[in-house]
Amino acid sequence: MEAPPVTVLPVIGGTINMMEYILQGSVLDQSLESLLHRLRGLCDNMEPETFVDHELVFLLKAQQGSPFILRARRSVDKPGLPWHLRYLGQPEIGDKNRSALVRNCVDIATSDGLTEFLIEMGFRMDHEFVVKGHVFRKGIMKIVVSKIFRILLPGNIDNVEPLSLSYLVELNVVAPPGQDAVSDDMKSFSEQLKPLVHLEKIDPKRLHQV
Amino acid sequence: MAAGPPVTISIEAACENQVQEVALDGTEAYVQPLSMSENLAKLAQKIDFNRSDSEGEEQDAGAGEEWAQRQQDSDDEEAILKFQPSLWPWDTVRNNLRSTLTEMCVLYDVLNVLKEKKYMALDPVSQDPPPSKQGLQLCGKKKSLAGAAQILLKGAERLNKSVAENQEQKRQRDFNSELLRVRQHWKLRKVGDKILGDLSYRSAGSLFPHHGTFEVIKNTDLDPDKKIPDDYCPLDILIPSDLEGSAYIKVSIQKQAHDIGDLGTVNLFRRPIQKPNSGTAHWQTKLEAAQNVLLCKEIFAQLSREAVQIKSQIPHIVVKNQIISQPFPGLQLSISLCHFVNDKKAQKMPSEKHRSDDHLYVLEHNLHQLIREFHKQTLNSSVMPHPATAPFGLKRMRLAGSQAYDKGEINALQQNEGLLEKIIKQAKHIFLRRRTAWTIDSLASRIEDPQIQAHWSNINDVYESSVKVLITSQGYEQICKSIQLQLNIGVEQIKVVHRDGRVITLSHQEQELQDFLLSQMSQHQVHAVQQLAKVMGWHLLSFSNHVGLGRVESIGNASAVTVASPNGEYSISVRNGPESGCKVVVQFPRSQCKDLPKSDVLQDNKWNHLRGPYKEVLWNKMEGRNFVYKMELLMAALAPCP
Repeated sequence: MEAPPVTVLPVIGGTINMMEYILQGSVLDQSLESLLHRLRGLCDNMEPETFVDHELVFLLKAQQGSPFILRARRSVDKPGLPWHLRYLGQPEIGDKNRSALVRNCVDIATSDGLTEFLIEMGFRMDHEFVVKGHVFRKGIMKIVVSKIFRILLPGNIDNVEPLSLSYLVELNVVAPPGQDAVSDDMKSFSEQLKPLVHLEKIDPKRLHQV
Repeated sequence: MAAGPPVTISIEAACENQVQEVALDGTEAYVQPLSMSENLAKLAQKIDFNRSDSEGEEQDAGAGEEWAQRQQDSDDEEAILKFQPSLWPWDTVRNNLRSTLTEMCVLYDVLNVLKEKKYMALDPVSQDPPPSKQGLQLCGKKKSLAGAAQILLKGAERLNKSVAENQEQKRQRDFNSELLRVRQHWKLRKVGDKILGDLSYRSAGSLFPHHGTFEVIKNTDLDPDKKIPDDYCPLDILIPSDLEGSAYIKVSIQKQAHDIGDLGTVNLFRRPIQKPNSGTAHWQTKLEAAQNVLLCKEIFAQLSREAVQIKSQIPHIVVKNQIISQPFPGLQLSISLCHFVNDKKAQKMPSEKHRSDDHLYVLEHNLHQLIREFHKQTLNSSVMPHPATAPFGLKRMRLAGSQAYDKGEINALQQNEGLLEKIIKQAKHIFLRRRTAWTIDSLASRIEDPQIQAHWSNINDVYESSVKVLITSQGYEQICKSIQLQLNIGVEQIKVVHRDGRVITLSHQEQELQDFLLSQMSQHQVHAVQQLAKVMGWHLLSFSNHVGLGRVESIGNASAVTVASPNGEYSISVRNGPESGCKVVVQFPRSQCKDLPKSDVLQDNKWNHLRGPYKEVLWNKMEGRNFVYKMELLMAALAPCP
């Protein structure tokens, strides 16, 4: 039975229609300590939190157009917590002056049987990876410094090797649409992190071309 | 050219020694070279002792001639000596040394004699004074002094210049160093060419919409000619106009209910300004005062918002800068924001001073603490999302379906009580505690027998305190200790735990507590009799905490006890009630009563030993300072020693 067509109509109402504003950058491994110190000083005063997450990316091939991608993520170091299912839309092509990348974002917490459910629904697992790093927050902004690991044997998340010698730095805010002032706050925050790391908006479409 | 006989050529070194003689066979006899000692002797002969002496001799011209003569003599001697080489070459040396020794001995003797000062004395030879060159000396000294003065002046000029420069730069540098000090305490940022700061609590978690921005400017109103005042500060702070002055939240409980029309008055009791520590800069006190004003405004805004929104049985009244609520009937709690600016007009308020005693400072402090806790909660520290891409918030609340929280659980998680409710509860508790203490104290001062003691616990909560009340008789504390009450004072009720295990809940009415204590006191007297009887050896015949006989008491119940003497002849009955007081009757044996009607029911004489009629004791005429003492005396009187 072929997969049913994916409807493009957005769901309106509630917290479903949120936009994610994101800025990304990267640092090499040797600069990680100084970046963490800087973030510790700039962000809200909390104990630094580390995390280990396992993410699976599911694809639903539609007959026409690009496949529908869903990301299922769970926490490995805190096992009792819900899984997190995320849909990220295409980045909005707005004015060039906007400093952050804006895309539609749907976040849903689910219980443990997510992978089986998605496979039953017709999704196919494309790839999976493990992410380890630190997470900070400043108000509504979240800063994640993480290293992506490739899983060598599928199903075994202990056997991982790092994908690169650098850390990915992401600054993101999830907010209702229309609040462009958020991107200005993000920009001024990212100014404070220069020259340790340059956070800028990276269009994923251009990455595919590279 | 090889012809010819070979010729022997002999090579020998040149002869260095002189040939003394040539022998007949051709051998040469050389003059032996001088040995070392001979060489030395030869050289010693050449030393002319006299000549070296005479070279250093300048003063003694007369002696010089003598020496010259001797020189000549020695020269002659030497000339003679040259012709007599067989003489010992050291002779002249020896002679010269001997003469020197002689001279030295003479000099030594003379000095020794001089030392004794008895036979010889030294006197300086008078000399003509050298011609004075005063003029020349003066000129020379003047020149050297002028040179020294020149150097000093140059140095002084340089120092002066640098001091003057420092003074000028001081104002510039001071501003920067002062700005650095400000930056150590407050958050500053540069916007354009202005330096702005943030004195709000937003970074600490406050959600108050006030911007709280202040500006730092240079203090340029200084006359460079005048002396710099002691409290001069090179920078000045501009705070927003609505945060000027100082403020505090006044929480007070008043007994009488004010007339509603009276609420327009704004309470402005001037609190004495605390003198700032001498070390803090004036900008620090100014900024702290402004921050305090902001916090008080936030507290009051939160309280008034809650007062309007929360539905309670008796609605709260919010008027201008006051919130009035009624925690208990007849009681009024008023929370007001007192904000005054430092101008001359506000000083005309001295008459209200006597009313400032009811300001509950504890509650004001608690309000500050509660709002800070509220700030801290908004900066919730435990909401980091796991996995990391999840949004912020309580983790399990994101679940829907069968594993989600239900409404009851969510309600339990979230805090329901607002600031106002908490403060009202605390005020109620404080009031209840005060009134309980007042009741106990007034009873203690009014009633001497039995005595009431209160031991307040030092550790208590904002909503709960406890006190242990003991009712005792003076002098008999060890015997009569059956009434011990533990009062747990809550927000609206007082829970009494009796020693025998009963738990009684009293409401906030003060009359209830008073009545209860009075009834306990009357019960204590009867218990005391019971305990005393045990000690004195009397037998307990009957005891009842709540007798159903006699007059009905309006407070509590009367209690009664009957005890019999050890030999059974006498008995004492006591009935004590909180209102009716105590009544003591003694039962005598029949044999002691004379006015008994004779009857022939009693056949035997032994029945006369039974106890018969009762007689009341005039208790107030009895000796003894308190009830138990009187009772003891009575018992002692009725049980005479054998």
